[in-house]
Amino acid sequence: MSSNVVITVENVTQRYRVIQERPDTLRELFTRFFRHESEVYDFEAVRDVSFKVRGGEMLGIVGRNGSGKSTLLKVVAGVFRPTTGKVKVTGTIAPLIELGAGFHGELTGRENILINGLILGYSKKEMLSREQSIIDFAEIGDFIDVPVKQYSSGMYMRLAFAVATEVDPDILVIDEILAVGDFAFQQKCKERLLDFRRRNKTILLVTHSASDVTELCDRAILMDQGNMLFDGHPEEALAMYKSISAPEPALAATADLPMA
Amino acid sequence: MIELIHDVYRYRELIWALALKDLKIRYKRSFLGFLWALLNPLLMMIVLTLVFSNILRASVPYYAVFMLSTLLPWLFFAQSLAYSAEAVVGNAELIKKVRVPKSVFPVAAVVSNMINLLLSFVPLLLIVPATGMSFFWTWIYLPVAMIALTIFTLGASFFFATANVYYRDITHIVQVVLNVWFYLTPIIYAETQFPAQYRWVFKLNPVVYVLHGFRLPIYGANGQYGLLPQMSSVIASFVCGFASLIIGFWIFRKYQDEFVFYV
Repeated sequence: MSSNVVITVENVTQRYRVIQERPDTLRELFTRFFRHESEVYDFEAVRDVSFKVRGGEMLGIVGRNGSGKSTLLKVVAGVFRPTTGKVKVTGTIAPLIELGAGFHGELTGRENILINGLILGYSKKEMLSREQSIIDFAEIGDFIDVPVKQYSSGMYMRLAFAVATEVDPDILVIDEILAVGDFAFQQKCKERLLDFRRRNKTILLVTHSASDVTELCDRAILMDQGNMLFDGHPEEALAMYKSISAPEPALAATADLPMA
Repeated sequence: MIELIHDVYRYRELIWALALKDLKIRYKRSFLGFLWALLNPLLMMIVLTLVFSNILRASVPYYAVFMLSTLLPWLFFAQSLAYSAEAVVGNAELIKKVRVPKSVFPVAAVVSNMINLLLSFVPLLLIVPATGMSFFWTWIYLPVAMIALTIFTLGASFFFATANVYYRDITHIVQVVLNVWFYLTPIIYAETQFPAQYRWVFKLNPVVYVLHGFRLPIYGANGQYGLLPQMSSVIASFVCGFASLIIGFWIFRKYQDEFVFYV
């Protein structure tokens, strides 16, 4: 494992401006203005989190729903600019925050491969040269020229996973998507992630699956209510996760973030 | 501004792909497909020509050419704004999940309408000889007019794309504003047909300067055909264009990092 740091997260706090019943229309804005109401409050989804990830590391992020895991991932992926603190990322990064985020239903699989790749910052030429291996990995076959809205959810996700991993980013950021496809495809995904690791690529993985953490990750971070409680060995992180989850099972359901 | 040029250049392939996607979806499942881009101005022209030259007895020779010379660029402007208002909001899923410069969305909306505009110029090429009008050498000015129009449209697009993120009413307001704006702009009528005491309105209307660059070379004014706009009008069109772009992009840039929380 190389020792160069590829991701530095320094005292990152991510605050959302949550406006209760935000005025979506001008009418609401006016009525609110005259009633002098402003139900704005700041919600800290991630509070003063710092960690470093070295090249070739596979870092798991665990925690209950609403603990700030996804927010943290989005900050690293550059979707959010952190409210305070700094994020430094070296190398290309492919976010798999939600599979097929850039897909458009009316376009064919082939067209979506191109647009998705361009969104990730790759050139048309690069994407065309990778097209065939993406199609092969996703096992889409002739459906590649059919609009993706007609895909089964499994096909859709396989294609998205294939695009994100086939572009060969230095860093892969994954939010709970390993449960895609059937068993065989899941194994294939895991295989690919392990292959990434062997090639000294870095992976950040948010997951609820204990086996993913122990099988795949070298290290794990435990998040709870926006705070980082633990950073270290995956087994220990899981043990701690279980201990904080046990007493208040009801919280997990209610603590969902508005954005996450 | 340099940032905008940089992003547009870096993501030119994405912008192009998004613009084509827009067009493809716009004409998807319609039997005539891209032909609609040609048919729309043609049908609109037929209706307006019937209404104005026969019923209202408007005394403008070669009325079809007169009107289309400004109607086509106006439609580009109006549709770009309508599209841009949806550009950021409509790509919410993407903005929330991938890091991508948000400016590509309004730019792509304008580019897709630009392609549409160029397509809609094809019927004009047929209508000009059909009405007995000729092509003047002054058509060579059109690319310049096009640049001024595009810059102006981009600025307005950035503004409405931003505004609609915060207040979804903007989508509807844009339609109303464009409707009023359309009638206050000499497109279906000549400036001289407007009551003299109200003509100062045109001086305040930036689109008028921009559209001069189309009507004068394609048609003309005051009984003279194939004119070039005066230098003052050219300068005015670019001043309006850049003012629009600078203000529009400045606002867009100021708020773009917040979009992700509101879309």
